[in-house]
Amino acid sequence: MSKEKRSHKAQKVIERMGKKLNRQVVGSLVACVHCGNCTDSCHYVLANPGDPTYAPAYKADRIRKFFKAHYDWTGRVFPAWVGAKSLYTDEDLEELKDTVFGKCTNCRRCTINCPMGVDYATFNRMARGLLVSVGVMPEGVAVVSKDQWEIGNQMGVLKEDYLDTLEWMSEELQGELEDPNAGIPIDKEDADIVYSINPREVKYDPRTIADAAKIFHQAGANWTMPSEGWDMTNFGLFSGDDDLGGAVARRLYEKVSELRGKKLVISECGHGYRSTRCEGQNWAQWDIDFVMESSVITMLNYIKEGRIKVDKTRNTTPVTFHDSCNNARSCGLTEEPRELLKLVCTDFREMYPNRAENYCCTGGGGAMSMSEYTPRRLKSAKIKADQLAATGAKIVVTSCHNCVDGLADCIKHYKLGMEVTQLVNLVANALVIEKKVTVPVAEPIAASDLQGRRILVTDDEPDFVTFVSTVLEDNGATVFRAYNAAEAMEIARREKPDLITLDISMPDKDGSEVFADIREDDILKRIPVCIITGQPELRKLIYDKPHRPPEGFVSKPVTEDGLLLNVKKLLKVAHHQPEGVRKQ
Amino acid sequence: MSNLLHFSETTLQEVALGIMAIVYITRLTWLMRFKAGKERQAATGLGDTTPRKGFIYSWANVAMPWGMESTRTKMFLYSQFVVFHLGVVAAIALSFIIPYAPQLLDSSTLVLVLQIATGAACLVGVIRIIRRMTDTYVKAISTPDDHFSLWLLTVWFAFAFLAVPNSTAGGEWHLLTYFILTAFFLIYVPFSKISHYLYYPFTRYYLGKSLGRRGVFPLRRVN
Ligand code: SF4
Ligand code: SF4
Repeated sequence: MSKEKRSHKAQKVIERMGKKLNRQVVGSLVACVHCGNCTDSCHYVLANPGDPTYAPAYKADRIRKFFKAHYDWTGRVFPAWVGAKSLYTDEDLEELKDTVFGKCTNCRRCTINCPMGVDYATFNRMARGLLVSVGVMPEGVAVVSKDQWEIGNQMGVLKEDYLDTLEWMSEELQGELEDPNAGIPIDKEDADIVYSINPREVKYDPRTIADAAKIFHQAGANWTMPSEGWDMTNFGLFSGDDDLGGAVARRLYEKVSELRGKKLVISECGHGYRSTRCEGQNWAQWDIDFVMESSVITMLNYIKEGRIKVDKTRNTTPVTFHDSCNNARSCGLTEEPRELLKLVCTDFREMYPNRAENYCCTGGGGAMSMSEYTPRRLKSAKIKADQLAATGAKIVVTSCHNCVDGLADCIKHYKLGMEVTQLVNLVANALVIEKKVTVPVAEPIAASDLQGRRILVTDDEPDFVTFVSTVLEDNGATVFRAYNAAEAMEIARREKPDLITLDISMPDKDGSEVFADIREDDILKRIPVCIITGQPELRKLIYDKPHRPPEGFVSKPVTEDGLLLNVKKLLKVAHHQPEGVRKQ
Repeated sequence: MSNLLHFSETTLQEVALGIMAIVYITRLTWLMRFKAGKERQAATGLGDTTPRKGFIYSWANVAMPWGMESTRTKMFLYSQFVVFHLGVVAAIALSFIIPYAPQLLDSSTLVLVLQIATGAACLVGVIRIIRRMTDTYVKAISTPDDHFSLWLLTVWFAFAFLAVPNSTAGGEWHLLTYFILTAFFLIYVPFSKISHYLYYPFTRYYLGKSLGRRGVFPLRRVN
């Protein structure tokens, strides 16, 4: 087919490739000897035996083919002989999209297993960027990229929501420590530490923010959180869009400079750490004048320096550690988390293989945002599931928010009955807090936090309904149980509860449709709704609706504490109470 | 020795080597024209490794089968790699020994060593051909060049094996075929996947330098 017949997008992809090629990438594109050694280093291959289209070299060849056809003269002179083939149609681009987004998490495990040093993951990212530049990408990638470009963070968290959450967490902390100075300082200038987080923490897991704040406070740190430019994640790493990568990183660097912060501490997130600490300056072409550090290292140093004291006997459940691909294979962060874990837990069990040889959580490379590939992702997660099960641990710890979601999905799908948590939670739990001596005030036991609140719990899993209902009832709430959409609507109309919790996937009617029905009902539309789902990637179904978004969104698995935090926030009930009435 | 054999051993080889050198230089110049990506960030990792340590480790990787899971768990394939490449070294050395230092082949030990090296490499070549044609994954990624290069080398090893004694007692055909194949090989290499060894130092250097700076290389492993 001639150049004239090539689609506009295909032509642009080919032209733009020339601008993206550097010596490292070209080396990787020409050096593969098709030896097949990397084949079974990929979790997709292991989970799909006999299907060569998942093999790293096969996938790499989809990109290599058009590189050879246009940029390597062996391919121009003898195309069929060396396997060169150009891209012509938009269908060709769709096929390429399926490979580079849907069959690879850019985990780099094949890279470290290639004797030739071929770094497939790096040029797979380049190919993603080329497709994104012509608008060919999974919908989730488009949505998240747009949020990060326009709102400044990849989950579309509005500034007021972010500040509101910090304020709420500050109150939590002040209440818990009974110390009015134990808040979260915002935009404090000349602080030793500027703490940046993943928007997932604001949206689904604010407890990690409170835990980090508690640790900083106990360590007596001079720290702050920025009111803007606080998102250390960077979807540019996943989409291959260096412009987005650079813009996002620069936003964060500029804010730290503006506040004259001495050190940027990055909360536990693999891709956030890699993007901010290792790649951001390269994408942004920006040299910084402050130090950057993972919060794992910060916490470890606090213990080593005696700035905080921990009691490991508070974390006795057997734990294992999952190395995030970005931390382990691209940033060398493998030993510090283990050292820290051993200081705060009594029963740490290594996972095999580990460190740079660990398998991907299968949610990496932005896979959690590409719901069209979910079945494929969950199938490939079998490798991770087997690895997790073999540890015999009850909790898997990971220093990555993306991995938290990927692992939670894997655990749920393969019914492993494990919990996922992060180091910050374990450190906070193990903190030895020296309380000020106060004379106990004999107060009557107050009514439970949720006394008088009426909550409708909707989920098609009876066990889950029982769990949520029990937790809420133990805290004083009156709970109505619904196991399908019809029941939920009927009870909602009859009882007009103070809060509705809603699952997304239900057998009779999709949770997103129930949500729409609630929002369109003149009476019910005022009731706050909290989505509790095991498929966070389906959030688009809810957020794309032309209605006011849900007041809460929680991913399964849900802990008792996490559930209460969210429910109380939504009902505007302070989570903390005087020590005398705290529920243990 | 016939004029044809003499021509094949000397002039033909020199011309082929010249062509190979020109194409190699062109190829390397082409590669070097692409700008090398630069890393601005401060080093990560425990501080016990550096870009230098990283690329040295990366280069040494070829001799450390325990270093990568892909070689550690496939020792038979790794041994094939070693035997095959030793065969290449022996067959190339032979193409210089016969025309320029034939007296070395008076040593029966050297003859034996060269024959073992080329013979074993030929055998591995056959195993690799079978693998390339039957293994679902390898077959799916093989181009005509991959197949042809492997056949070429395997046949070349066979004739190198026959040529090692440098004897024309049974005729010159085996020596002639070996030298013509060598010349073809030299000219064909830069156009084919066999030129991978030209890129190898670069790919492993850049990967090693980057992963050394990032504290990943040398890899840490706890079994
Ligand atoms: S990427 Fe490396 S290991 Fe995989 S087939 Fe190519 S050369 Fe072999
Ligand atoms: S980068 Fe990871 S997911 Fe992608 S092909 Fe390599 S091993 Fe497989």
